[in-house]
Amino acid sequence: MNPPGALAGLRVLDLTDYRAQLCARIFADLGADVIKIETPGGDAARRIGPFVDDVPHPDRSLFFWFYNLNKRALTLDVHHPEGAEVLRKLARSADIVIESFAPGTMARLGLGYDDLRRENPALILLSIAPFGQTGPYRDFKADDTVLNALSGMLYVNGFPGRAPVRPLGLQAYHSSAHYGAIAALSALFARDHSGAGAWIDLSMQEATAAAVEHVAGSYFENKIAEPRRGTLHWSRFFRVGRCRDGHIMHCTLGDWTSLIEWVKADGKAQDLDDPAYDQVLHRYLMAEHLFDVLDDWVKEYPRDELLERAQLLRQPYATVRKPEALFDDEQLAARGFFVAVEHPELGRTIRYPGAPYVMNGTPWRVYRRPPLVGEHSGDILHGELELALDELAALAAEGVI
Amino acid sequence: MPPLPLEGIRVLDFTWVVAGPVATRILADHGAQVVKVERKNPAPMGNRKLGLQCDLHRGKLSAAINMGDPRGVELARKLAAKSDLVMDNFSARVMRAWGMDYESLKKIKPDIICVSMSGLGHTGPRSSYVSYGPTLQALTGYTMLMAEADGEPAGYGYSYADMCGGYTGALAALAALWSRKQTGRGQFVDLSQFEAVAAVIGPSLLDISVNGREQKPFGYDSQEAPAAPHGIYKCHARKADAPGGAADDDRWLAISVHTQAEWERFAAALGSPEWTSEPKFQTLYLRIRNRAELDAHISRWTAERSPEDAMAALQAARVAAGVVENGIDLCARDPQLSERGFWPTVATAAGAATQVTGIPFRITSGSGVVRSTGPDVGENNDYVLGEILGLSRAEREELIASGVVWL
Repeated sequence: MNPPGALAGLRVLDLTDYRAQLCARIFADLGADVIKIETPGGDAARRIGPFVDDVPHPDRSLFFWFYNLNKRALTLDVHHPEGAEVLRKLARSADIVIESFAPGTMARLGLGYDDLRRENPALILLSIAPFGQTGPYRDFKADDTVLNALSGMLYVNGFPGRAPVRPLGLQAYHSSAHYGAIAALSALFARDHSGAGAWIDLSMQEATAAAVEHVAGSYFENKIAEPRRGTLHWSRFFRVGRCRDGHIMHCTLGDWTSLIEWVKADGKAQDLDDPAYDQVLHRYLMAEHLFDVLDDWVKEYPRDELLERAQLLRQPYATVRKPEALFDDEQLAARGFFVAVEHPELGRTIRYPGAPYVMNGTPWRVYRRPPLVGEHSGDILHGELELALDELAALAAEGVI
Repeated sequence: MPPLPLEGIRVLDFTWVVAGPVATRILADHGAQVVKVERKNPAPMGNRKLGLQCDLHRGKLSAAINMGDPRGVELARKLAAKSDLVMDNFSARVMRAWGMDYESLKKIKPDIICVSMSGLGHTGPRSSYVSYGPTLQALTGYTMLMAEADGEPAGYGYSYADMCGGYTGALAALAALWSRKQTGRGQFVDLSQFEAVAAVIGPSLLDISVNGREQKPFGYDSQEAPAAPHGIYKCHARKADAPGGAADDDRWLAISVHTQAEWERFAAALGSPEWTSEPKFQTLYLRIRNRAELDAHISRWTAERSPEDAMAALQAARVAAGVVENGIDLCARDPQLSERGFWPTVATAAGAATQVTGIPFRITSGSGVVRSTGPDVGENNDYVLGEILGLSRAEREELIASGVVWL
């Protein structure tokens, strides 16, 4: 018998679109019962690629799969009054409802916080919207790239004098999802003090701005706009260099003496053996020159050999790799990071990225592969909500489920 | 005012640099008492009363305890016995050497939770690797794939790995605390920051694992539903005498048009110039195919406008568009963030005040708050040793005189 997950016993209704689905996945990964509520015909995220073998189909979207592992799925048209009624009934046994509709939509559907609170005073409603539920931009539209722009995240990437370069990996959505899960868990602790639920108003713009560590701090401390610096990190202790067969990330925060002895032994130290460089502050001030010298030093080295030797000296160097390399990474393999998930409908077993933490008391695991369209509708509506079969048939006939 | 959500929780915090302090900052913002145990002369990272270091350390307490002295270690173990959560971001050997690892601490505090946020995890052949956020970004693929069209890495300007690691650490801590509330049992969480940032490129990883597809830089291609136009467009320079400050020709607008309805509204917002009705732009497929030409037309429109005016025109037509904000735009000019009070003010020790980064959500039953600026090293020695451990003034003075605690 596996021990239950850390959030076992909690029920979460996931009404989010693809922008916020990671949030509910975090709860599902930690053992909560997460029910993805999707529109009849399937959630819009199921139409986003990549697809298995590049064949578009609602049950082959890898994009949907990543964000919906470990969830159950129910099709329900909450825009239909009877669908909204079913959702209100579901809310009675839920701890958390997560939604990402345009502000005001939930209230218009009869599913606003006051409506849901009447059904369940302890309910926590987490509303995730591009600009939050208030303010002059409340009804403005945004996708991940527009949020990158309006949060200061985009401006600081790329080379000076050239166009900003967009970050990889939907960081606005993911930062919002992380903060959303933190917010809902905080509200659960608050509920234990008071017994009362809560409405959480999360702004994706704010969550993205909070995920850029230095831009606001530099403004408030020094009244400056942080510039683009290419691959030189704002701290001035990291820069990308080029080896014989690929790129490396230099770092000048390790033990300077052992690094410079190595460079000197290779005859490439130039002026870096000047004792002034022993001071972190001098390395900070001289960063551009310092990295130019180190770039000249590494250019004949094979990338992986340089990394191994650097780490033996406890130099915080890294190779600049493509994500493909993660599948061959010995460290990830030893920790069992990738997990095999069976998709019996396709006759395939697929490797997913797993959990980034090992919890020794409440281990992470795969509870179920991502759901097929509406896979658990019957179990949930008939088996758990105890709607009669003729009621279900009527709802289906009306296209509500 | 209702109590903060985590009131009554004490966190003993050995973390440093960025990711760990982000995690414990989130816990402090929500009411946990976070006690930093640190060295007298940590690497000079800046003033904790202002800017980034304030954002990382705000609302925490600091005790300067010499962990190189067995009596210092004993003080830390006594603090752990009075804590709910112990957090660090060291490799496995450091806490073990002090007798501060989970197995040792649970003997003195059976329901203790330990969250270790090391770079690559406590197990595996590379668990001793030294890393920082920027190096983990390089190892996972973020750095390589955030590139210009010629394929050379172009960033990052910030460290997403640190933030992502910090959020994951806070989540793991909250989940473990929640589990303890239900079961009475603590546990050990071995978090790998490397895995935290690797996990969230999931769709790309599945594309590799299922389709074997080589990953290339996305540039400004949509990473979600397909879109065109989709990208940033150069706008009118700000003149030196314009309201809002100095001359600036680094002005851009992001535009994202996903659906056909959005395209029609977009064309109308531009005044339906002739090119918008050319057959080659009439479907999403064609717009993506003829993207270079499409972008050239749009750039001519944005070049005559400030990004603020262009954004207002497009948003009025319900088209996603946003100014590529620099630090000044973000902190001093963005009307949405200021209206929502996202840059709260906290008093500094000097009797002045500074603005800090807010908490990106409001909770009706009791939002988190930024309670104070960050502590100087050892600022709260008296409170930590006197109030929490109950040591008398004479005992505290003796510890200072013998170098176990630093002033």
